[in-house]
Amino acid sequence: MGGAGVEVGSRDRPCKWVQLPPSGPHTDQHGSQPWEDPGPAHTDGSVSHPQCAGEEDWVDSRTVYVGHREPPPGAEAYIPQRYPDNRIVSSKYTFWNFVPKNLFEQFRRVANFYFLIIFLVQLIIDTPTSPVTSGLPLFFVITVTAIKQGYEDWLRHKADNAMNQCPVHFVQHGRLVRKQSRKLRVGDIVLVKEDETFPCDLIFLSSSRADGTCHVTTASLDGESSHKTHYAVQDTKGFHSEEDIDSLHATIECEQPQPDLYKFVGRINVYNDQNDPVVRPLGSENLLLRGATLKNTEKIFGVAIYTGMETKMALNYQSKSQKRSAVEKSMNTFLIVYLCILISKALVNTVLKYVWQSTPFQDEPWYSRKTEAERQRSLFLRAFTDFLAFMVLFNYIIPVSMYVTVEMQKFLGSYFITWDNEMFDEELGEGPLVNTSDLNEELGQVEYVFTDKTGTLTENNMEFRECCVEGRVCAPHAVCNGQALPDASATDMIDASPGASGREREELFFRALCLCHTIQVKDDEEVDGPQKSPDSGKRSAYISSSPDEVALVEGIQRFGFTYLRLKDNYMELLNRDNDVERFELLEILSFDSVRRRMSVIVKSAAGEIYLFCKGADSSIFPRVIEGKVDQIRSRVERNAVEGLRTLCVAYKRLVPEEYEGICKLLQAARVALQDRDKKLAEVYEQIETDLVLLGATAVEDRLQEKAADTIEALQKAGIKVWVLTGDKMETAAATCYACKLFRRNTQLLEVTTKRLEEHSLHDVLFELSKTVLRCSASLTRDNFSGLSADMQDYGLIIDGAALSLIMKPREDGSSSNYRELFLDICRNCSAVLCCRMAPLQKAQIVKLIKFSKEHPITLAIGDGANDVSMILEAHVGIGVIGKEGRQAARNSDYAIPKFKHLKKMLLVHGHFYYIRISELVQYFFYKNVCFIFPQFLYQFFCGFSQQTLYDTAYLTLYNISFTSLPILLYSLMEQHVAMDTLKRDPALYRDIAKNALLRWRAFIYWTLLGLFDALVFFFGAYFMFENTTVTSNGQIMTSNTHVVFGNWTFGTLVFTVMVFTVTLKLALDTHYWTWINHFVIWGSLLFYVVFSLLWGGVVWPFLSYQRMYYVFIQLLSSGPAWLAIVLLVTVSLLPDVLKKVLCRQLWPSAIERVQTRNQCLSVEQPTVFMLSQTSSSLTF
Amino acid sequence: MAMNYNAKDEVDGGPPCPPGGTAKTRRPDNTAFKQQRLPAWQPILTAGTVLPTFFIIGLIFIPIGIGIFVTSNNIREIEGNVFMYYGLSNFYQNHRRYVKSRDDGQLNGDPSALLNPSKECEPYRRNEDKPIAPCGAIANSMFNDTLELFQVGNASDLMPITLKKKGIAWWTDKNVKFRNPPGTDPLEERFKGTTKPVNWVKPVYMLDSDEDNNGFINEDFIVWMRTAALPTFRKLYRLIERKNDLHPTLPAGRYYLNITYNYPVHSFDGRKRMILSTISWMGGKNPFLGIAYITIGSISFLLGVVLLVINHKYRNSSNTADITI
Repeated sequence: MGGAGVEVGSRDRPCKWVQLPPSGPHTDQHGSQPWEDPGPAHTDGSVSHPQCAGEEDWVDSRTVYVGHREPPPGAEAYIPQRYPDNRIVSSKYTFWNFVPKNLFEQFRRVANFYFLIIFLVQLIIDTPTSPVTSGLPLFFVITVTAIKQGYEDWLRHKADNAMNQCPVHFVQHGRLVRKQSRKLRVGDIVLVKEDETFPCDLIFLSSSRADGTCHVTTASLDGESSHKTHYAVQDTKGFHSEEDIDSLHATIECEQPQPDLYKFVGRINVYNDQNDPVVRPLGSENLLLRGATLKNTEKIFGVAIYTGMETKMALNYQSKSQKRSAVEKSMNTFLIVYLCILISKALVNTVLKYVWQSTPFQDEPWYSRKTEAERQRSLFLRAFTDFLAFMVLFNYIIPVSMYVTVEMQKFLGSYFITWDNEMFDEELGEGPLVNTSDLNEELGQVEYVFTDKTGTLTENNMEFRECCVEGRVCAPHAVCNGQALPDASATDMIDASPGASGREREELFFRALCLCHTIQVKDDEEVDGPQKSPDSGKRSAYISSSPDEVALVEGIQRFGFTYLRLKDNYMELLNRDNDVERFELLEILSFDSVRRRMSVIVKSAAGEIYLFCKGADSSIFPRVIEGKVDQIRSRVERNAVEGLRTLCVAYKRLVPEEYEGICKLLQAARVALQDRDKKLAEVYEQIETDLVLLGATAVEDRLQEKAADTIEALQKAGIKVWVLTGDKMETAAATCYACKLFRRNTQLLEVTTKRLEEHSLHDVLFELSKTVLRCSASLTRDNFSGLSADMQDYGLIIDGAALSLIMKPREDGSSSNYRELFLDICRNCSAVLCCRMAPLQKAQIVKLIKFSKEHPITLAIGDGANDVSMILEAHVGIGVIGKEGRQAARNSDYAIPKFKHLKKMLLVHGHFYYIRISELVQYFFYKNVCFIFPQFLYQFFCGFSQQTLYDTAYLTLYNISFTSLPILLYSLMEQHVAMDTLKRDPALYRDIAKNALLRWRAFIYWTLLGLFDALVFFFGAYFMFENTTVTSNGQIMTSNTHVVFGNWTFGTLVFTVMVFTVTLKLALDTHYWTWINHFVIWGSLLFYVVFSLLWGGVVWPFLSYQRMYYVFIQLLSSGPAWLAIVLLVTVSLLPDVLKKVLCRQLWPSAIERVQTRNQCLSVEQPTVFMLSQTSSSLTF
Repeated sequence: MAMNYNAKDEVDGGPPCPPGGTAKTRRPDNTAFKQQRLPAWQPILTAGTVLPTFFIIGLIFIPIGIGIFVTSNNIREIEGNVFMYYGLSNFYQNHRRYVKSRDDGQLNGDPSALLNPSKECEPYRRNEDKPIAPCGAIANSMFNDTLELFQVGNASDLMPITLKKKGIAWWTDKNVKFRNPPGTDPLEERFKGTTKPVNWVKPVYMLDSDEDNNGFINEDFIVWMRTAALPTFRKLYRLIERKNDLHPTLPAGRYYLNITYNYPVHSFDGRKRMILSTISWMGGKNPFLGIAYITIGSISFLLGVVLLVINHKYRNSSNTADITI
């Protein structure tokens, strides 16, 4: 809590305040007076007292002196407090600490640290290779990373500076002062004009609007673009000018900053002339958050309460937890294996060295004496340095460049997603976004997809379908298209002359829909006044956070009732007779997801007070005492099955006395400092009873384009699709049917609250598991015959309440029992629907599956703020760039415009990335086994003296330039199967499931292949040299050089064979030869040759040795060397080719079959293929 | 309710602040590269495509192997130029301490390196406060036996055979990499201030009487300085040039080899050899390469046959498998 100097003892103050005589610095008689009003506040306070010492939400409080004015003497002790200034710091480094801090961060990575150690060992002890060989690549990696991070941090600095320096208007001594934003302090009074963002969290004091409200959009905070209304503090909303506001004398007490955007509790003490403070409660409706923008309001005054890094926005800055892909995990496992191999190699060689040296003439023959210093070194020290030297010699087996290549592959490869034209959405004008490139390959490994329903599967584009008033149904189709066409259904109900009372109810129903909402009307046409005709076509001017409400109010327009606006707390609507009706808005009992309903209390022109309530059927029906419940219920259920979203509307008439009682209850609850939400909910519960049911509405949320197709493809790909929604069961199930998640023959299993009322959870689960397991037992028999099409489909439906029962740990501690059972059932269901889920429960489900014993890879996709938790939880989080704002997209790993793009994302991109990176990883290990194992073998022939086989330049450049580009390009371009085939045949996705290409078998195959190749290179060259035949060049041309080849020629021969083999091995693996592949593969071989010619062709003055001088050229001028190179390359490649061909022939995978089939097809139509090739080459 | 706060976002959202990067995402370019639709050749390794390759490899390798084998076995005929080698075994010229114990700068005639040899040469860097030229263990242990070849004539008289000393080292080594210290003075003057390697009998400037084969550019020395790859090695010692086309260079008969034994090998359990050989178009006598080529060629041919059988046998089954998917 940084510089927030909070006075001692404030922790338990809220309860003392109510309970005890004043004590503590802030509590005095004046302060507590208003609280002694009769009312529930007291009782509540005392009730909660036993709790407040321990578990209260309001942990700490702060006192803010508005305008830095001390409170009147005697009122409170003025304790100046220190808060951080309004500087936002999102940057990680400063100019000074960049180098040390960045280096520290980088070397915290195990791999970098390992290479640093190797480098240091090379510097300190006498090692066979020069420090350059490992220092240069490490330096390169570190520098590139540092530059990248430095650049990113510089951008952050720039953004921070722009933020911190943008001007803010302060009120100081009654005058307006412009200052930089960062100089803002807690307690300053700030003026914000229209379209400006709030510079910090402010308590809203007054507005230019007479009613003391302002409109705000929080698009950059939570993504909701709708306008929200905030209210100024009642006692200060009269202060309109700078002078006025400067005379304000008040203190604000509020909680210490908390990250929850929608919660705020505090109170303001306004000191009047009488020195008698007025206490007002402050809630989130009085709080203007940093990052939000002022709209439709000329200017407002506010006092800063949280600044800088303590604003709610900054507190919500949460660095996303690093997600690591399965490939990365197996890569790290392999690394550990190789590290073990490395250490054991070094150990073996060290031991053997000392065994070998035990005969004195081996240790120190006459021709190779040690220096005096060497002789005097202790045995232990010698052995240790020898061990380190061997480590250094073999350290290339774990290549630095692999990390660089993997990073580059991921970073560059992710561009193919953003570039994909097929995933571009014209409507939005946006394509997919890649927020992290670390997880590209994970897209090819998904086993579970958790999808949100609203906005993801469906369009979240609500359309009013029908309403049911008093049991009669009326649909507005006819009215909506033409001009009030007397359609059968529409006129039916109007003309049916339901009688006076019926007609009254009906009108009340429409009025209820017109009034019971939180819609704002866009003020563009405000000047036009209320006389605006409903037929002018300005229907889209409604703004609301809930699209259902807009759909309803727009739908009602077609029945002749138009909501006009809210003005001075009066709601105006135009009725069928084109008369303006005015209702005074008394209270709004706002919507929340627990109650699942909202209410308004309005006073009609005639002075009657109504409560209109609108909500989910399950939350309305139990509170209804009158009305045609049964008829409406049946209609609602029918609509729900059709996939419509239904709402019920009810009302009650209040007599003024009742209303006063309600007012008091509400007021009491609203000023409560503790558990305010809970108390409010209780009060709402009390108020919303004894309702009269008016009718129900049905709104359609259409399925997204190709949603069904996508889900079908995913299921065929072996991915289990779960729908997690907050919607109710019937609606959600209907959507599932519509998008083919459930089919006709799917047997639905239900674990719902309704069922749990009849049976215990235990019984239900056991019964279900019996059904499912019986089926799966028979399935395993059938599976062999491949009759997968006939299998009985099970679909599971579970609701939030039942889920929390399952998740709840049982009293005897055996919490996992039900979970296991539940997971068992789920595993055997082809589709699962979880309805009535709270956002956190969605994340819980994902977590449950994620940590189940198979550890499947999960993907969560959603579009709204309520999906963020599951998006963050899942292995891969995908946000749909949708209507409910961008918050999901921003928190996701990838964002796509539409649900249908998931298909290409997984089946094509995911598949490609997985194939590419797994080859990259395996190949890197392979080529370094090839590289280092001959070096290991050579030790047996050089007296374990750590003599290197290759020249330093070759050691350094092998991974950096000779063999790096082909694999990088492969890992960017490879397409083993055409994109269209992958899309057409989703089952191919199963081929790579469960990390198939990086399993131990594959890893061991590659390693053995590397070992075999290394043996071939080394012993091939060995036998050539042992028989000492490679001693001359072709003497046909000139007979004056009959040369003897030395150890460097030997190494160069091995190295040349190796570079060719390793590159050609990749060429054999490449299925997709574009001109770039040709260029890079042949180019890098050519580069090797040219480099070697150059390296050996010149006496390099900067080298202290000239051991490579003419070695390569002499080698190439010898006939047997050519013969050996050809032979050894062929032998090395032979087993791999053989394995490939045999596997393809005898045990072909699905992918290989498709490849073969396509091959046949393309052979049949060579001309067409050629034509398409030429035509597409033109477009490039 | 976690969200990723980013100052940049805020800048974008706030009109009072300077507008940040508001680059609107455009429709991506419809190029073949970006859409991953570059025209490409898509080869697949199937039995059908690989079969011919196996046969071709077999058909090419076996003749080559036979050719090599025959050529290398025919080398027995001592015709043409004959090469004389000395061989050492169990001599670790490739030991790291040994390999690095030289100063290429000194050997290239660099005057400063001549008088101040590299530290790598320790403990053969200085002797009695004078720099050793050539320094280092390799030079110090130069092979110094003398081999002389005589033909035993009819009357048991020994006819010496001319052994050519020059032309046994790489041309580039002799002319570029190895150079005597610069100057026009006699060699002895140019090496002034240095001392001979400890084990040597004569200083470096007295290796040969021929000015062009003396000092650092002595070819025996150059050959020795190219460290061998393996502990058993042979090095070219002399050339026996063919006199005329009609007679074999070394006709059948009795020969006498006179060895001046200077070089100790018993202390490290070593052996010495002398080898006479001619070379052909593909090098010296070389059973390995020929056998290897024949073996690989046969294996490849055999694999081709096996694949052919498999391909034939399983073609039908793989076709039916195609249908089920």
